[in-house]
Amino acid sequence: MTLVLDFCLIGVLIVGIWLFHRPAEAKYGNLTAAAALACAMGLVIYRYGIMHPFVVVICLLVGGVIGIWVARKITMIQIPAMVAFQNGAGGIAAFFLSFVELMRGAGQMGAINEMSGLVNLAVGSLTFSGSMVAAGKLAGVLKQTPTILTNHTRLVQANLGIVILLMLIAFFLPGTAAVVFYLIIFALSIGFGILFSMRVGGADMPVLISFLNATTGLAAALCGMIIENQLLIACGATVAASGSILTHMMCRAMNRSLYHVFIPEKAPEKPVSTMDELPENNLFSTGGQMTEPEQTIHEEMSEPEKETPDADPLKTAVHQVQTADTVVIVPGYGMAVAQAQFEVIELTRLLMDMGKQVIFAIHPVAGRMPGHMNVLLAEAGVDYDMLKEMDEVNPTFAGTDLCLVIGACDVVNPAAMETDGSPISGMPILNAHEAKQVICCNLDDKPGYSGVENALYQNSNTLMLLGNAKQTLGQLLEALTETPAAVQEKLTAQDETAGKEASAAPPMEKAVNRLMSGEKIIIIPGYGMAQAQAQFQVKELADLLESAGKQVSFAIHPVAGRMPGHMNVLLAEAEVDYDKLIDMDEINPEFSQTDVALVFGACDVVNPSAIHVEGTPISGMPILNAHEAKTIVVCNYDTQPGYSGVGNTLYDDPKTILLMGDAADTARELTAAIQKKR
Amino acid sequence: MSNLVLMVGVFVFSFVVGYFLISRVPTLLHTPLMSMTNAISAVTILGVLILFSVPSTRFEQMIGSVALIMVTFNLVGGFTITDRMLRMFKKKQEGNNP
Repeated sequence: MTLVLDFCLIGVLIVGIWLFHRPAEAKYGNLTAAAALACAMGLVIYRYGIMHPFVVVICLLVGGVIGIWVARKITMIQIPAMVAFQNGAGGIAAFFLSFVELMRGAGQMGAINEMSGLVNLAVGSLTFSGSMVAAGKLAGVLKQTPTILTNHTRLVQANLGIVILLMLIAFFLPGTAAVVFYLIIFALSIGFGILFSMRVGGADMPVLISFLNATTGLAAALCGMIIENQLLIACGATVAASGSILTHMMCRAMNRSLYHVFIPEKAPEKPVSTMDELPENNLFSTGGQMTEPEQTIHEEMSEPEKETPDADPLKTAVHQVQTADTVVIVPGYGMAVAQAQFEVIELTRLLMDMGKQVIFAIHPVAGRMPGHMNVLLAEAGVDYDMLKEMDEVNPTFAGTDLCLVIGACDVVNPAAMETDGSPISGMPILNAHEAKQVICCNLDDKPGYSGVENALYQNSNTLMLLGNAKQTLGQLLEALTETPAAVQEKLTAQDETAGKEASAAPPMEKAVNRLMSGEKIIIIPGYGMAQAQAQFQVKELADLLESAGKQVSFAIHPVAGRMPGHMNVLLAEAEVDYDKLIDMDEINPEFSQTDVALVFGACDVVNPSAIHVEGTPISGMPILNAHEAKTIVVCNYDTQPGYSGVGNTLYDDPKTILLMGDAADTARELTAAIQKKR
Repeated sequence: MSNLVLMVGVFVFSFVVGYFLISRVPTLLHTPLMSMTNAISAVTILGVLILFSVPSTRFEQMIGSVALIMVTFNLVGGFTITDRMLRMFKKKQEGNNP
């Protein structure tokens, strides 16, 4: 009889989940599931009775009131943090339950029940601590960047091993002596949860949350195994299934394996080439082989006007220097050897006259003595304010347009971070590889003093200008001063972006014209829209465009936002019709017939580098093909790369109109401008 | 032993059924889905209630109370917020209740 009732409730619950397959019925599904659980609670109280009704009622009231209060108050952007926190609450409750059951049953428990309890001590507490770290990161209490300890992976493995060992010991220990082990398992599992979630970065959060969702489900199912309650097992298993599916989907959407989310590769580069590729026999041809295909990529993406793929690397370099706004120069001993520091200074002055921001990144061991580079550059007349230390400059590389490496090798070799066992493994380096563009003015592409091949040279965004640094820089300077027209053009463009009012006008007008003349418009929302809380303005704009007879839809990338389906919720909050929210797979074929793709605060999910460039963290990630639209209007805060740190080549597309600034303001301005025109 | 078979059977069955049902949920609803399954995982509350069904020590009551508050928060908060979210998913024609 009890089993029959249990299975009926499981059936109701399944109906509840089944109702989720259509948006219009989903809310009944939710209520059905809630009702099933309420009935189950009633049933349990009826069957077992309650010894301390006062305590129970108080606890139910406290938890319930807080739950409702928080759920009412929270905004949609905080949902991921809330879900993470709730996962944690479920996890710790499962731990407490297992703990009490194990203590009570000491000695007389069935083997299966006891084993489930022991496993659940670990699963419950790691879910708790992992979720708390995730919630902290999502709520902005903890920083979102991955934190990686030395020997992190080994720590995690050791921790896991010890926990399993302790479980076995506790299992065979008779009576109450095992309690100490329970507590140690608890402490270690808490540590385990922290260890694996701390190194998951902002963009990988959807995976972490989904994964913790699955472990909470597992914890609930294990609770069911301890007390032999089928309903608990069934519910727990369903949640575990749901969490697993979502984890899998999120991983696929980012082209990452679960393993790599939790054990991240330290640097995004391609693996270092093996020693047999050493370029000693013919160094220049090797250099050519390396750079040629890469140039092709640059030209396809940013300079379609160039005819030949094997154009002079110097020309490409000139173009890159001209288009960069922020430049970091990494000097090395090679610069000193070539006595090129004076050319470097001349170049620096020129760049600064062009309105670019230039700094020097000084590695502590560059040169032949501590502070060697500083002395050399000071000698050449560089303002010491421009000389930045490694720790200070490293975080800024990702936002740097161009990194100019002059005669430095080992200190910018990303192999130091990723390859174990080489002489430079673990050496702190200047993260030049994170810059959008790297130009290396080195004598050759041979390894530096360490003898380790420089992986940076093989990066797709690295341009090699081989030869004597003094001569190379001289040529570069000449070429730069030769094209004053281009410089002038760049300068005016910069003047425009300088003042907000002045800048807004021409691109804004262009964007408005395109929007007015277009028929089919696709809006691509990203987390930036959520952060600017711009969904309401975006919705207003969409309505306006629709009332002008245009076909407007929203393209939703599976990992846009901070948890699966986050964008849908945010747009639903702004009352966007859910029929207009289209999945990536469904909408991608439509971009080529789209007049305007309107990007609001999305970056990585529309970055064509994912398709064209190999060896970046997002290579192979499915993206929304916004670049196929006839015009792309990007309303982002800035042109910095997204979480992946990969520069967005969409921004360089000649079809792209950039409207930088707060997305809500931009949307408002667009709406106003269109209204005026009509 | 028969208990073990039953429990494993229920687990596998629910996992498989859950897997098929959830694979059909549109990506549109992934956030509410996760929020709801999260609330369902608070089914642990049944276990915590059973804890209180037999005479217990002060210590056990204390631990039980904390667990009960946490899990009730998870349960009630989870369903409430899912409901709030789902009510936001609107279609123009239908004119859903606010």
